[in-house]
Amino acid sequence: MISRGSLPRWLTSEHPLPWLFPVTSLLVVFGLYPVLYSLWLSFYKRNPATRKEKFLPSWNWNKLISDDRVWDAVEITLTYVVIALVLQLVLGMLIALLLDTDRKGFGVMRALMTLPLVVPPAVTGMMFLLMYDSSFGVISNSLYALNLLSPSAPILGTSSTALWGVIVADVWQWTPFMVLIMLAGLRALPREPFEAASIDGASGIQSFFYLTLPMMSKIIALAILIRGIDLFRIFDYVKVMTDSGPGTATETLTAYAGTVYFKTANFPYASTVALATLIVVLVVSSVFIKVFKIKF
Amino acid sequence: MNSSRLKTILRYLVSIIIIGIFVFPIAWFALTSVKPISAVFNKDRVVVFDFEPTFDNYRVTILGGKKSDNNANSSLGMGTSGEGAYDGRGSILSSLIIAVSSTFLATSLSLLAAYALSRLSFRGSQGYMHWVLSQRFLPPIAIIVPLVFIFRDLGLRDTHLGIIIAHTLINIPIALLLLKSFFDDVPVEVDQAAMIDGATRFQCFYLVVLPMIKGGVAATAVLCFIFSWTEFLLSLFLTNSIRTVPVKITTFVTSTGSEWGYISALGTAAIIPGFIFILLVQNHLVRGLTMGAIKD
Repeated sequence: MISRGSLPRWLTSEHPLPWLFPVTSLLVVFGLYPVLYSLWLSFYKRNPATRKEKFLPSWNWNKLISDDRVWDAVEITLTYVVIALVLQLVLGMLIALLLDTDRKGFGVMRALMTLPLVVPPAVTGMMFLLMYDSSFGVISNSLYALNLLSPSAPILGTSSTALWGVIVADVWQWTPFMVLIMLAGLRALPREPFEAASIDGASGIQSFFYLTLPMMSKIIALAILIRGIDLFRIFDYVKVMTDSGPGTATETLTAYAGTVYFKTANFPYASTVALATLIVVLVVSSVFIKVFKIKF
Repeated sequence: MNSSRLKTILRYLVSIIIIGIFVFPIAWFALTSVKPISAVFNKDRVVVFDFEPTFDNYRVTILGGKKSDNNANSSLGMGTSGEGAYDGRGSILSSLIIAVSSTFLATSLSLLAAYALSRLSFRGSQGYMHWVLSQRFLPPIAIIVPLVFIFRDLGLRDTHLGIIIAHTLINIPIALLLLKSFFDDVPVEVDQAAMIDGATRFQCFYLVVLPMIKGGVAATAVLCFIFSWTEFLLSLFLTNSIRTVPVKITTFVTSTGSEWGYISALGTAAIIPGFIFILLVQNHLVRGLTMGAIKD
């Protein structure tokens, strides 16, 4: 007790400092410092022949703007994000509506629905690789039987279908996330407006579009934010399933940054591409949080 | 038969089919893991279940049995050679050490910070929350290049401690926001009463409020465990010899072919811990996945 009295206030538990210090120091050293380090790296031009680096702040950023592969990667990333997000959102809502009942057996079904969420994404990639295999894959063979796919054009080996192959794996894994969030939203809805609407003769579809959707707009916005950003950061499925191929048909921004890092060892440029991804994510997410007034 | 009865039957039918679709890839993977290799690769037998179940794949990957004892497999001669190449025991142990340690660190450090953010009003607390949130949205690829350098300089590259720190880092934002939402559920009057009785802030946190949110802390820990257990990108870049389970599985895919028996055995085993855990926290799952934004 004597010693406590003599401590300065910022060292006591009345002050936020001791509480925040451990987390803050970890985040600064291993989170913030690497980002600043990346930024600093991006200001250096690497000479591949001599492996020397020269301070030239605009070099990598100009290269980024004029790099066709970056713009291709942006297009592929956006295609991936939009298609997967729409599919997950719509499927998630439909399945949630279907499972939102207290009838016998639906509790078990809701629990089974969470199963894909615990599969490591790298393992998900493997599962789908196995099912897509052009000779013995169960999905491929089913599609051959239905004449929807030809054995000469394997799903992941063909430019026009490879991205879809990856999207299907993502949709399988993360639609359950949407289902859970939508279910929570549906369960929280008040009953009275729906009773009133049905007395007034509104159909189920009408009350869905005029009551359910507007009342769930906040939750839907939140789901879009979290899932959208995770989709934008996509790396595991692409790395495991196609390794950006065939050619660069599935090369997303993060995959391109990984390729520059691994294959050319051009660390300054790899940092620049990765930072570009970060900037896009932060700008989009802060605007989104402001517009939809999301509170964490 | 009246139409409401028909609707109920239809609802059951459609729900069961949809759940079936979502469970199928896991079931198929698990089935592959007990198939003899001849049944995996024979396309005419893909969907025919006329095989003797075998546990050879598990014996090699999780019990450390010798690959050469598997008569059925040795004739194919594919994949990487070497007796220990498919022994997943070291990976499972590494993954466990990393997941448990990073879960403990992330949860305990975040508890302190979350309490302060929930209870001690101070200038900049909102900004601090936003900064933490931005860490959640940070694409890991954006910090990986400098992180590799920093880890090399600190001697953390390819060490358990290194990945523990990396996973703690990605879990802190989730744990912090989630725990803050649980603290926010406890009325401030509880703290005030304890402090009138002479408790210090820390005693109030540790002896009074913490026991009240035990369930929330457990749910947070489970989610942290699952995120660490399934994480791929950081483990891939930050290690060479220590292999977490998801990274290890991807090494079973080689240029000469994929060892689907071993991949599916270790992959199936990797799903089990997460599935058991997630069933324990069903009540807080939605809150956890949305970092506390949706309370359940």
